[in-house]
Amino acid sequence: MSAAPRPDTPPRLEPFRLRGANFNLLVLRLLDPRPEAVVPAIGDQFRRAPGFLRFAPVVLGLADLEVPPDQVDFPGLIAGLRGLEIVPIGTTGGTPEMRNAAMAYGLPPIRSAGGKESEEPAPAPTAAAPAEPPASAPPPPPQPAGAMRPTMVVDQPVRAGQRVWAQGCDLIVTATVNAGGEVIADGNIHVYGALRGRAIAGGGDNAEARIFAQNFDPELISIAGYYAVREGLAGAPIGRAVQVRLTGERMRFDPIG
Amino acid sequence: MAQVVVVTSGKGGVGKTTSSAAFATGLAQRGKKTVVIDFDVGLRNLDLIMGVERRVVFDIVNVIQGEARLNQALIRDKRVETLSILPASQTRDKDALTKEGVQKIIEELAKEFDYILCDSPAGIEKGALLALYFADQAIVVTNPEVSSVRDSDRILGVLQSRSKRAEEKRDPVKEHLLVTRFDPARVERGEMLKLEDIQEILSIPLLGVIPESESVLRASNTGTPVIMDGESNAGQAYADAVARFLGEEKPHRFLEPERKGLFKRLFGGRAA
Repeated sequence: MSAAPRPDTPPRLEPFRLRGANFNLLVLRLLDPRPEAVVPAIGDQFRRAPGFLRFAPVVLGLADLEVPPDQVDFPGLIAGLRGLEIVPIGTTGGTPEMRNAAMAYGLPPIRSAGGKESEEPAPAPTAAAPAEPPASAPPPPPQPAGAMRPTMVVDQPVRAGQRVWAQGCDLIVTATVNAGGEVIADGNIHVYGALRGRAIAGGGDNAEARIFAQNFDPELISIAGYYAVREGLAGAPIGRAVQVRLTGERMRFDPIG
Repeated sequence: MAQVVVVTSGKGGVGKTTSSAAFATGLAQRGKKTVVIDFDVGLRNLDLIMGVERRVVFDIVNVIQGEARLNQALIRDKRVETLSILPASQTRDKDALTKEGVQKIIEELAKEFDYILCDSPAGIEKGALLALYFADQAIVVTNPEVSSVRDSDRILGVLQSRSKRAEEKRDPVKEHLLVTRFDPARVERGEMLKLEDIQEILSIPLLGVIPESESVLRASNTGTPVIMDGESNAGQAYADAVARFLGEEKPHRFLEPERKGLFKRLFGGRAA
């Protein structure tokens, strides 16, 4: 939610762009769950190669830990590593329970894309988790690689100043999107009330995405980066049930229902 | 258990302070121990509308900064025994308010009062956020006008995400819609938003509709909350709204334009 009014800079349609990228990350495979054993050992190695890991983001490998998750002192490990200027950013491997325990301390599971860590038993890919899920969150169900994420459903009105972002999935709003509200999805957007705010579908490049609205009355519509503001919608069937899609570089507005 | 009620709107000049004064007085008239806090630090209007501006010694900022005790700053109303006012400071700005300070004041007031009304300043800045932070219920004041409805929509979003109840994931703040300055004749002519349109956009329960009335300005200028003017439409509409707030069923009144008789048309005279 953006609370502050925008400064007087020229308005930009996109305050951000979402792009996939591959990173080479170091995996720190924990063989011992005790910070008092792990941290000094890293410290020793670190002293022999000063600066080697400095501020390096590392992924904690959990596959070799053979203790129950509650015996792993994640806060202690995180603090100890941070003390050595090593920044743990996530986890890989290990049991779902173990990954979940780490998630409670802000370390989400990270899926290894290339399978370079070959000796590691392939980690079950998981749905990307929010940065700080409640500690009681159930373990994310294992899914086959590349599986669809569940659609995000919003039952409350999206009010002025509110922004809903369905990351990597479709979005369904069963209430209205009010003027000044913004709904964004990497997939399709369905609004079963009036769409009076902004709807941005298809993320940056999904030109197949569509927008459906029960009562089409938007401020701005965008699919895959192509957009139209209200002024440019003079020919669109305002107030009707409408489907919006991209044909080539043109947006099409078709009445439905 | 004391109820903390914020009177808020986002937009300025829609009638927050008038409504706070009327509601506080109405609740107190019905025997509820009520205190109304002016959060508009730096501007300070509530004491004027409540007619106690000449009795202000200390204010909310003095209490927060430990320069006065809460009891020294509270002004007991002379007309309604169960009503108190905690005025704002005119010489400070809203940065003088702190979350901890406000919390301490509200906790202390909760020991004595049934209802703690927080008269929010306009905007969505610090003063307004603090006024709504501790709320159990919210009265959202809206005029039948597009920008006012938009700002109310915005403040509802803020209530749902930045109040203490929202942060602690408790039951959400109970929201009430109060439409003020409603002019049925202008609505009929299409110059103002229809009630249904406002309700459709904001989709929260309607607590009351206060008709546009000269009696409101008169009441403000004389420092008498308009609810004390039982003759006026606005005063009666506020009394109805207070009754509904306390759970009574009351039909909505003053929604249709007044049909003036020939006599009134000839000799002028406008709706009181």
